[in-house]
Amino acid sequence: MELKIIPKLFKNLFSEPMTVRFPHESIPIPDGYRGEHSYDIEKCISCGLCAKICPNKAIEMIEAPAEYKEKYPKNYPKIDLGKCCFCALCQDICPTGAIKLTKNFFLSTFDKSTTIKEPFLDNIKSGTE
Amino acid sequence: MNEQMALEPIGKNEYELFFGPAHPGSGNFSVKLKVDGERIISARADPGYLHRGFEKLMEYRLPIQNAVLSDRICIFEALNWNLIHAEAVDELMGIEIPERAKYIRVIMAELSRIQSHIIWYGVFSIGTGFDTGFKMAFGYRDYILDLFEMITGGRVYPTGYICPGGVRRDIPEGSEEKILGVLNKIDEMVKLEMMGNPALLSRVKDIGILKLSDAIRLGATGPVLRASGMKSDVRKNDPYEVYDRFDFEVPVSNEGDAYARYMIGIEEIKQSISIIKQALKELPDGDFVAKEFKKPKLNIKIPEGEVYVRNEISRGEAGMYMVSDGGTTPYRVKIRGPSFLHMIPVLEFLLRGSQIADVPAIYWSLNICPADLDR
Repeated sequence: MELKIIPKLFKNLFSEPMTVRFPHESIPIPDGYRGEHSYDIEKCISCGLCAKICPNKAIEMIEAPAEYKEKYPKNYPKIDLGKCCFCALCQDICPTGAIKLTKNFFLSTFDKSTTIKEPFLDNIKSGTE
Repeated sequence: MNEQMALEPIGKNEYELFFGPAHPGSGNFSVKLKVDGERIISARADPGYLHRGFEKLMEYRLPIQNAVLSDRICIFEALNWNLIHAEAVDELMGIEIPERAKYIRVIMAELSRIQSHIIWYGVFSIGTGFDTGFKMAFGYRDYILDLFEMITGGRVYPTGYICPGGVRRDIPEGSEEKILGVLNKIDEMVKLEMMGNPALLSRVKDIGILKLSDAIRLGATGPVLRASGMKSDVRKNDPYEVYDRFDFEVPVSNEGDAYARYMIGIEEIKQSISIIKQALKELPDGDFVAKEFKKPKLNIKIPEGEVYVRNEISRGEAGMYMVSDGGTTPYRVKIRGPSFLHMIPVLEFLLRGSQIADVPAIYWSLNICPADLDR
């Protein structure tokens, strides 16, 4: 029994470890990973299907604040990542492809308010600047 | 022993000892043990710590949403529970499943079974103080999780990958080779001589012997029943999906002790590997989901009727009973988790008369999952 260990010991000594040293290297994320949502307000037609299919009711259709009300008169989805189970049903049901799940999984936070994805602020900023 | 532990004297040398529910070795489930010195006089299982009420939740959700919910009945074999739910809805709606979807379902269910058996091996090892086995098992399990991530988009939760009508997305190109590569690695793990470790053997051999007559009387299924000497497997006795097309064996052992139960698990990993290889060889082209379910819809009505489907999952026989009154959501869902009978009557029976030190070995040799007991 003891002698059997020795060749195995040498094999283990020179073989690669099973783990990856995470911040320095990581396992590549495959396509189709279900991470944080990306939302394109220009593609959105405000059908509300995403809010209806969401099993956790994480999506709420809200009105635009007063300053954007003229440009965006309908209701748009506000996503609560704290409630979200990342099932991608919203992505599957979306008729125009406005909601897509990205590969970003770095979603841990100490600030609860950052888990809520407002439909207007991010999109409008990137649209105008 | 820690003084804060609940030790109430009952008789002269009798004590009540709580195993769980937040004990690292019990997994959200507790057993109240009445002990006399080191010997257990009686054991009383105390479930309910993990109750989430899936049966009621499912009555308010559409089938496609229930598919997402069905993952969480038991996190260790989410895909198997997906499959059971999908089969129940398919049978109620009378949907014709494409051939390719059936094969993908079998491949994913078997991968999930291997992964669940590896967890079983891991927790069984750490329960008996064999850390190497635990680390090995969880290391190799990650290779399968990589496959799940590639195919379903999530490592642990497939979120309804096996949905009513087929599967939610096709397996990506080149995944056949990756699956075969992972299977070779699992094969390598199974061949390691961890099972012959004398330290492990001394703790699990001839412990918790369950005779065949007792196993049948107490309602054991799956590996527990097979380890007691009965050849019973839903995949053979009542084939679902395309299991009747594959050539595989049902491992049986006559000893009925903790070691035999756990060796059944190891044998089943080998059989599952052979099933996946056969399925990959025969994998046909075509659609991966029925036309009705290509895109999730909100207004699909489930025809009136009732159905009971049963599947063989890694822990035993699992079932789902579904009644529909013609609406979009099921009228009633009843889930039969295999762990229910393993965790209450079988566990109580086996613990009676054993030693405190054998509790983890007996507990984990039953391959139990508190999540599908409490659901």
